[in-house]
Amino acid sequence: MNSKDAQEYTISLLVNNQPGVLSRITGVLGSRGYNITSLCVAPTTDPAVSRITLTGGADGDFTEKIKKQLDKLVDVIAVEDYTGPGFVQRELMLIGLRLSGERDRDILRIIDLFGGRIVSMNGDYLLLEVTGTKEQTQAVLGQLEPFGVEVMNRTGPIAVPRFFNGNKFASSTPGG
Amino acid sequence: METTGSDIVIRTLEKEGVEVIFGYPGANSLPLHDRLIESPVRHIMMRHEQGAAHAADGYARATGRVGVCLSTSGPGATNLVTGIATAFMDSTPLVALTAQVSTNLLGRDAFQETDIIGITMPITKHSFQVKDRADLGPSLRQAFALARSGRPGPVLVDLPKDILLATCPVQETRDDGCQTAVLKKQDNGSGLGEIATALNQSKRPVIIIGGGVKLSGADRQVNELIHSAGIPFATTMMGIGSVQAANGLNLGFIGTHGHDLANRIVHQSDFILAIGTRFTDRSTSRLEGFAPQARVAQIDIDPTSIGKNVSVELPYVGDIAQTLTVLLPLVRSRSRSQWLQKISRERSLLEGKLPDGGCGEAGRFIGNLQKALPEETTVVTDVGLNQIWTVRTWRARAPRSLITNGGMGTMGFGLPAAIGAKIGTPEREVVLIIGDGGFLMNIQELATISYYRLPVKIVVINNGQLGMIRQIQDLFYDARFTTIALGNQVDLRAVAQGFGIPAGRVHAGGDTEGGIEALRRAEGPYLLEAVVDPENYVYPIIPPGRSNIEMIYGKCA
Repeated sequence: MNSKDAQEYTISLLVNNQPGVLSRITGVLGSRGYNITSLCVAPTTDPAVSRITLTGGADGDFTEKIKKQLDKLVDVIAVEDYTGPGFVQRELMLIGLRLSGERDRDILRIIDLFGGRIVSMNGDYLLLEVTGTKEQTQAVLGQLEPFGVEVMNRTGPIAVPRFFNGNKFASSTPGG
Repeated sequence: METTGSDIVIRTLEKEGVEVIFGYPGANSLPLHDRLIESPVRHIMMRHEQGAAHAADGYARATGRVGVCLSTSGPGATNLVTGIATAFMDSTPLVALTAQVSTNLLGRDAFQETDIIGITMPITKHSFQVKDRADLGPSLRQAFALARSGRPGPVLVDLPKDILLATCPVQETRDDGCQTAVLKKQDNGSGLGEIATALNQSKRPVIIIGGGVKLSGADRQVNELIHSAGIPFATTMMGIGSVQAANGLNLGFIGTHGHDLANRIVHQSDFILAIGTRFTDRSTSRLEGFAPQARVAQIDIDPTSIGKNVSVELPYVGDIAQTLTVLLPLVRSRSRSQWLQKISRERSLLEGKLPDGGCGEAGRFIGNLQKALPEETTVVTDVGLNQIWTVRTWRARAPRSLITNGGMGTMGFGLPAAIGAKIGTPEREVVLIIGDGGFLMNIQELATISYYRLPVKIVVINNGQLGMIRQIQDLFYDARFTTIALGNQVDLRAVAQGFGIPAGRVHAGGDTEGGIEALRRAEGPYLLEAVVDPENYVYPIIPPGRSNIEMIYGKCA
């Protein structure tokens, strides 16, 4: 959505771990013209249940309407809006770049500053791992780009509530 | 003892109370068709799978039960798509069974393989592809539960051939009874007390009745609400027939092709209680101009229908019949004589404005047709002018006595839907009113009618063209007519007779009595062609992009 008041949303879903479920969910968003910026799917401690975290930009009462639409899907067990400061968000980013002697000190300083980790080094090829909020991973990427980032991949955010209040939805064993 | 997957399917259908399936066979559906021979479930073989889907839809609309259609894989399944979409848009409970290639062939572009689950995902409530024989019973039961529950709708079950042929000991199927909880609980929204208070305080209230009232079987409760509180009401096109009230409270139906009184009064209201309607664009016309002074309360079983189009101050999610039972004692009857007087003034002002209710000779003809037919008649329409003339003219006396498709606007729906309605309610007279365009779209179903000797009465209103499109071109495209002529080369009586159906012909503007009488007296099927003037349009109408009170009454208005 290109609306002026578009804002980033994060929606968390518990779904049956079955073929076709993801396409029903993306279909609900796609048929209404909403783009998905990132999408993360993984099983919960109950292997029959997966958790999906998706983010994107939307306007107005999108979250309320889309929550209701998603909740109607038979394979969606529960859906919650995880947007805002009440939720901790993290994403993982992998960055590959080449060392070149002179600027290595700067690269290492940036890695250190952002709490990045060197995953592997092969000759002059360095593979880094960075986690953080989307803003933080984006900042690292921005800092390292002038040094010639050759490879980048990111997971998109996952999120949990900052405080656990016994809510079944957020629990590690939601299906159990 | 051994049983097969097909036997499980058919036994489950029997347990769900299915008495008839509308279908068409193919190689992959044969395991099922074969086992139907011994079953009390009747199989009506349509002449096209689209006909099967519409017939199951018409059956469901006429009876309130779940309609079932069955096709083979590939083209059989894709031919169901328009029918499934039509049922989806009007919330008809439907179970579509599609055969599929064997599981070992899935994804190999096998002969007559198509991903019908993927194709129908946006137009079904849910779908199942059964890949394990043990899932057959539970999936089918869930399909029926889902089709009926909440806001009803179509559910598709895709049945690979090897699963239908798989055998297993009978005793292994006994435990299929486990019911998975598929029905979700919903928050209700605001309190009914608030809705009652707002309604009680309102000075110019209107109740708007949608198709959901029929679906919920809540006509008694709605009637009671209207009468006990003396509140004027309008319907949507899908809500026509739900309420029998007169007493000057019935305003007609709202929207693009609706009644001017309903549109004008809703526009002036200060409070709308919407029951079982999602306020589609056809009902509201230009949304920004819709009922600008009204606070809106909305009751619907589907949370996504609430606030979908019109913003709602007082939402309530719940079954209409149950909700109104709770709401009724909270609603006070109060005198709103000013409001009712205003309505009655507008009514008498508007009544004389257009002769024949704006439907011309076609409307007069339909009025005469209804007078000649028994009170217990179900009328089925197609889409286009024939539909608008009928819904504006026909006095629907029972909630399921007028069958029309609103959301999807599917031409070709009428003929197979009338077949389904007749099979579902054989004790009622069923008359189809259809245009010459839509009639040609599923004309093959005349063969179904004559094969099964179904006493469906067919009225083809023939203006030799696509009348509604002609009216739009005439009014809004500077009378530049194109792609509307159907011509008069087809002799509809000869066509009907060729299918073994007796037929007659009248001019709607001339003497129609004899023709209508022949139709009425026919013991089997009968086709009456009624010729109308190509310029017999429908008025008033709301131009595209305008609001409900900007109705025009003629070409130059």
